[in-house]
Amino acid sequence: MARARYVHPVAWWIWALCLAWAAMRTTNILLLLTITAVASYVVGARRSRAVWGNSFRLLLLFGAVTVFLSVLLQVVLGTRVGGHSLLVLPRWNLPSWTAGLSVGGDVTAEALLASLTSGLRLAVLIACFGAANSLAHPGRLLKLVPGALYELGVAVVVAMTFIPQLTESIGRVHRALRLRGRTATGWRGLHAMVVPILEEALDSAISLAASMDSRGYGRTAAVPAAFRRTTNAVLLLGLGGALVGSYFVVDPNADHRFGTAALVAGTLVASAAGTLAGRRVHRTKYRRDPWAAAEWLTVGTGALVVAGYLLGHPNPSVALVLQWPTLPVLPFAATLLAGLAGVLTPPPYPRAYRARAPRVAEVAR
Amino acid sequence: MISFESVGVRYAGRARPVLNGVDLTIPEGEFCLVVGATGSGKSTLLGAVNGLVPHFTGGTLSGRVRVHGRDTRTHPPRELADLVGVVGQDPRSSFIADIVEDELAYTMESLALPRDVMRRRIEDMLDLLSLAELRDRPVASLSAGQAQRVAIGAVLTAHPKILVLDEPTSALDPAAAEEVLAVLQRLVHDNGLTVLLAEHRLERVLHYADSVIWVPGHGAPVVYGDPAEVIALAPVYPSVIGLARLAGWDPVPLSVRDARRRSAHLRASLPAHPVRPGEAGDGGAVIARTAKLRVRFGDVEALDGVDLSLRQGQIVAVMGRNGAGKSTLLSCLVGLIKPTTGKVRLGAGAGRDPRAIPPRGLIHEVGMVPQQASDLLYAETVARECSAADRESGAPQGTCATLLADIAGDVEPEMHPRDLSEGQRLAVALAVILITSPRLVLLDEPTRGLDYPAKARLVSTLRRMAEGGQAIVLATHDVELAAEVADRTIVLADGRVVADGPSREVVTHSPVFAPQVAKVLSPLPYLTVADVSRSLAGGR
Amino acid sequence: MNSAVRLSPAAILSLIAVGLVGIAAFGWPLVIATSANSDHAADAPWVFVLMVPLLLAVVGTQITSGGMDAKAVALLGVLAGVAALLRPLTGGVSGVQLMFFLLIPAGRVFGPGFGFILGNVAMFASAVLTGGGGPWLPFQMFAAGWIGLGAGLLPRLTGKPELALLAGYGLLSGVGYGFVMNLWFWPFAASRAGAAAAVSFVPDASLADNLHRWLVFSVTTGLTFDVPRGLATAAALLLVGRPVLASLRRAARRAAFEAPVEFQPAIRGAGPDTSNATNHPIHPGASK
Repeated sequence: MARARYVHPVAWWIWALCLAWAAMRTTNILLLLTITAVASYVVGARRSRAVWGNSFRLLLLFGAVTVFLSVLLQVVLGTRVGGHSLLVLPRWNLPSWTAGLSVGGDVTAEALLASLTSGLRLAVLIACFGAANSLAHPGRLLKLVPGALYELGVAVVVAMTFIPQLTESIGRVHRALRLRGRTATGWRGLHAMVVPILEEALDSAISLAASMDSRGYGRTAAVPAAFRRTTNAVLLLGLGGALVGSYFVVDPNADHRFGTAALVAGTLVASAAGTLAGRRVHRTKYRRDPWAAAEWLTVGTGALVVAGYLLGHPNPSVALVLQWPTLPVLPFAATLLAGLAGVLTPPPYPRAYRARAPRVAEVAR
Repeated sequence: MISFESVGVRYAGRARPVLNGVDLTIPEGEFCLVVGATGSGKSTLLGAVNGLVPHFTGGTLSGRVRVHGRDTRTHPPRELADLVGVVGQDPRSSFIADIVEDELAYTMESLALPRDVMRRRIEDMLDLLSLAELRDRPVASLSAGQAQRVAIGAVLTAHPKILVLDEPTSALDPAAAEEVLAVLQRLVHDNGLTVLLAEHRLERVLHYADSVIWVPGHGAPVVYGDPAEVIALAPVYPSVIGLARLAGWDPVPLSVRDARRRSAHLRASLPAHPVRPGEAGDGGAVIARTAKLRVRFGDVEALDGVDLSLRQGQIVAVMGRNGAGKSTLLSCLVGLIKPTTGKVRLGAGAGRDPRAIPPRGLIHEVGMVPQQASDLLYAETVARECSAADRESGAPQGTCATLLADIAGDVEPEMHPRDLSEGQRLAVALAVILITSPRLVLLDEPTRGLDYPAKARLVSTLRRMAEGGQAIVLATHDVELAAEVADRTIVLADGRVVADGPSREVVTHSPVFAPQVAKVLSPLPYLTVADVSRSLAGGR
Repeated sequence: MNSAVRLSPAAILSLIAVGLVGIAAFGWPLVIATSANSDHAADAPWVFVLMVPLLLAVVGTQITSGGMDAKAVALLGVLAGVAALLRPLTGGVSGVQLMFFLLIPAGRVFGPGFGFILGNVAMFASAVLTGGGGPWLPFQMFAAGWIGLGAGLLPRLTGKPELALLAGYGLLSGVGYGFVMNLWFWPFAASRAGAAAAVSFVPDASLADNLHRWLVFSVTTGLTFDVPRGLATAAALLLVGRPVLASLRRAARRAAFEAPVEFQPAIRGAGPDTSNATNHPIHPGASK
C-alpha cells in the first residue's frame, strides 16, 4: 500500500516566505502576477488535503477584493496629484478637522496604477501565506512545537479536529430548529442554535479531557525547583531587556541601534529560557518528517527566487510612471523555477491511492 | 487484578454517596459485565477503576481501589495509562489526532515509548482490529463502527492489562456491535485481557460475560458473581431470561443457543400462531405516502426508489444497517431534505408536500425526534423548555408539562436538560414534539443509551399514541424494541426497500433482525415474551 | 470563581512586560521620528514583526507553565475551535465577525489567564482554518488575547447589569480591535505613493499630527468594518449572552477545576442508603 508522503512543512514555509519576500520587494505588476500564478500552480499540485486550510481559492478571491477596495479607496479619497486625468468626480471638501481630506475630484491614471499595485502586493502576500498554509500540513507543523508550548499545541490540534464535528453539529441543530416549528432567522433562532451547539461542544470537551487523562496526557518529568526559579528569572530578565529595547526603538530621540539590539537580544534570551523550561514534558514522537532531497529542492527553489530578485531587481522602488511594465528576465525566470517545487517533489498521495472519504456514513446515518 | 476495598464515592455538593461499601475483586482475564439502571452509579464504578473518580471528577473516595497492585489514591489516571485503557460511548469525542495512525500512536507517545516499539505495536493493532486499510484516513471520515475500533486500538497500543468500556456499542448497528464484541472476546481469550464493560442492551453481550456486577443504585450494596445468579436478582434482564423465567427453566440459560436447547417442550406446547391481543388490524386511513422517492447526495444514492404508505394508528419500524437510508427517509418525510426525484405527501388524504408547508404548520402534521434529542432542547431548565415549547406551538401553558408527566413522571422540572438521563431527555423531546399532536410522529434511534425501564416507558407511550390514532415510524437498530412495539417492519438496504410487511413475517426468519425470542422459538412466529405468556395463558 | 488557568506571579509579570512591548509594537508610528536614518522608519515594523511572535510564545509558556490540566486544554481547544469557526462563518472578510461574542464570556467565566490564551489560540486556529495567516497574525492574536484578558478582569456583576457591562465591553473591543489593527497596518497601507497624503503616515510629523492622521484614517476606513463589528458583538451579547454565560458556567462547574479531591479511610459497616432521589453523577461523557 503506497503511503502518503508529505514534504516537511518547514520546507514549504521557507519556500512561501521567499515568495512573499519577493512580492514585497517589487512593484512590477507582471512579476506579482507571476508569483501568484506559480503559487496557485504549486498549491493545486501539492496541497496537503488536510481537512482544514484548503481555502486557497477563497483567499485568491479575498485578494481580488483587496485590490478592488484599494482602488476604490484611491478613487474616493486619493491624493490629487498631477497626471493623466481619467475621470473627474464631483469634489467635496470634508470639514477641516479631517486635515484636508476631500472626496472625489480628479482621478488620475497614475494614482489608479499606484493603488492597483499596492493592493496587488497585499493580495499576493496573502496568497503566499495561504499557499504555505495549504501546502504545509498543519497537523505536522504543530508536532514541531517545542515542549514548552506543548499544551497550546494540543489545544490547537483539538480545535482543528473539533471543527468538522462542529460543522456537523451546526447542521444537525439547524435541522432540529425546523422540527420545532421555527425558522433559523432572527435572534430567537440564534438563541435556539447557539445553546445546543455550545453545550455539545462543552460536553465534548469534558469527554475529551477524560479520555486524554486516561491516555496519559500530562505525564511530566519532575523539574527541580531551583532550576525552575532560575529559568523564570532569566526569562523575566530577558523580557525586561526587550521592553527597554522596544522603547528605545520607538523613542524619537534615542539610539535606535541600541534599542533594536536590546529588543532582539532580550527576546532571544527569554525564548531560550522558555524553551529550557519545557524540558519537563516527556514525550516521544511517532512520526518524524524526514528532511530529504525533496525538502532541499523546495528550499532551494525558494532561495533561487531570493537570489533572482536580489540580482535582477536591485532597485525595488520603481517610480510610478505611466508606462507598460517591462518584464525583468532574471526575477521572472527565478519565479518560474520556483514552480518546480510543485513538480519534482513527491505528491502527498500517490496517484494510485485516492482517499475518498465515505460521506455516506455521516450523511445518511 | 482489580480490587475494591470498602469503596464509597461521594461527589462534592451532594449529600448522598453514589457508591457505598463496594467490596469485590476481579481476577485477571475475566470478561465482566456491569449492569444497572441509568443513574445507578455504573459509570462511577468504572471511573473508579482508573482513577478518573475522584482525580478527574472531584469528590471523596473512601476505601481503596487497587489495580494490579497500584493504588488509585496515589496514581492519577495518567499514571495508570499503561495499565488501564478506557473507551467511552462516543469514540469521536476522544479523538485527538487527525489521522488514524497518529491516533493509535498518541497513547504511546504520552508514555514516551521508543519509536520502533511504537511502530511494531501499531502494525500489530492494525492487523488485530482489521484497520489496515484505514491507516491514512482522517478520523472524521470513519463510520461509527470503524471509529469505535480505532478508539479501542488507540488505548490498546499501550498494552494495558485492563480495558474499561462504557456502553461501547450503543451507537452501532447490530453487525458493527457484533464485530466490536467479538474483538473484545478474542482479546480476553487469546490475549488475557481483563475487560470491564457496562452495557444496557444485555442481549448483545450477556453470553460473553464470565461474571456480572449489578449496581442497584442509591448506595445499595453492589452484587458481584456468576452471571446467572446475579441476573436472577437484577431487575434488568434480556428477553431470553424473561422467557426462561416464564418457562421455569433452571439453571437460567444466558444465550440463545442454551435457551433453544431447552425449548423443545415449550415449542411443542405453543400454538402455531400467537394469540393476538386484539390488534388494530391494518391501521386506519393513509396519512403519508412516498412515491418513487429518490435522494442523491453527490454520487451516493441514499434512497433509490422507495414507495410506501403510512396509516393512522400503525407503528412502523424501519430497520437496516448504518447508511442504508433510514435517517434520510425520515428526513424526507418531515421535509428536511428535498427529494431528487419522486414525491412525499402528508396530511389527511396524503396530499401535501411537507416542503411546501411552513414550519409552523408542519408541526401539526408531522413531528420528529432526531437521533440526538438534545439538539431540540435549548432552555436552562425542563420547566422553561416546556413553557417555551408551549408558547411556540400556540398551545396553552402546561400542555407540555402534562405530556411529560405522562411519558416519564420522574423528571424534576428544575434540572438542566443535559443533566437528565438519556431516557428522561428523550421524554422531554418527545413531549415537546407531541404538544401539537401531529398525525405522524417519527423517532430516529430512540433507544440509544436507554435502559430497560426507560424502554418500557417508551413502549407504553408509543402504544398509547397509536391507540389515539397517530402513526409512528421508528428508525432503529434495536430489534427487541421493534419486536415489542411495531406492527409493521420495513427493512432498507442501500436505499431500497428489501422487506415491508407485518413484523411477524418480516423479522421472524431474519438472522440479523430477529429478536431473541424468535430465534429461540424458531420457526414459530413469536417475537416477545408477552406473546408467549399470552398464548400459554390463552391455551389453558 | 472557577479559574481554569492559574496565573503565577512570573506569568503576570511576563504579561505586563509583553503588554508594554505590545503598546510599543502597535503604537510606534505615532511617535517615531527619523533624525538620522530616513529608512529606519521602515525597519521598526520588521523588528517588531519578527519579535512579537517570539514574545507571545514566551508569555504562552509562562501562562501554561503551571501545567494546564487536560480539562483546561480540552476546553481551550474546543472553545478556540468554535470561536475560530465563528470568524469566517459570520463574515470574516467584511470584518463584522462574532468571534469576540464567544471570547468575552469565556474570558469572564474562566478567568483572565484563560481568556488571554483563548484569544491567541482562537485567532491562530482561525488563521489556520482560513489560510489567512501572515505577518499581521501575531498582532491579531495579541489584540484578541488582550480582549480575552480584559473580559476576565471586569468587575463582578450579575444579571442584567452583567449583560450590559459585557455588551459595552464588546462594543469597545470590537471597535478598539479594528482601530488598533489599523494602527499596525496604517504605515504599510497609507504611506505608499499615491495614497491619500492627508491620512498617510508621515515619519517626521509630530505625535499630535500623526495621531490626528491615524484617527482620520481609522474613522474613514474603519467605519465600514469596526463599528458594525462592535455593534454586532454588543447586540449578540445582549440578546444571547445570558444562555452563553449559563452554558459556560455549567461547564466550569462540571469541569470542577478546583473541586477538592479527598480520600477517606474505609467506612466499615456503612449501610445502604435507601432514599430514593436519583443520583446524577457528573461523570464525563458516559451513561449517567
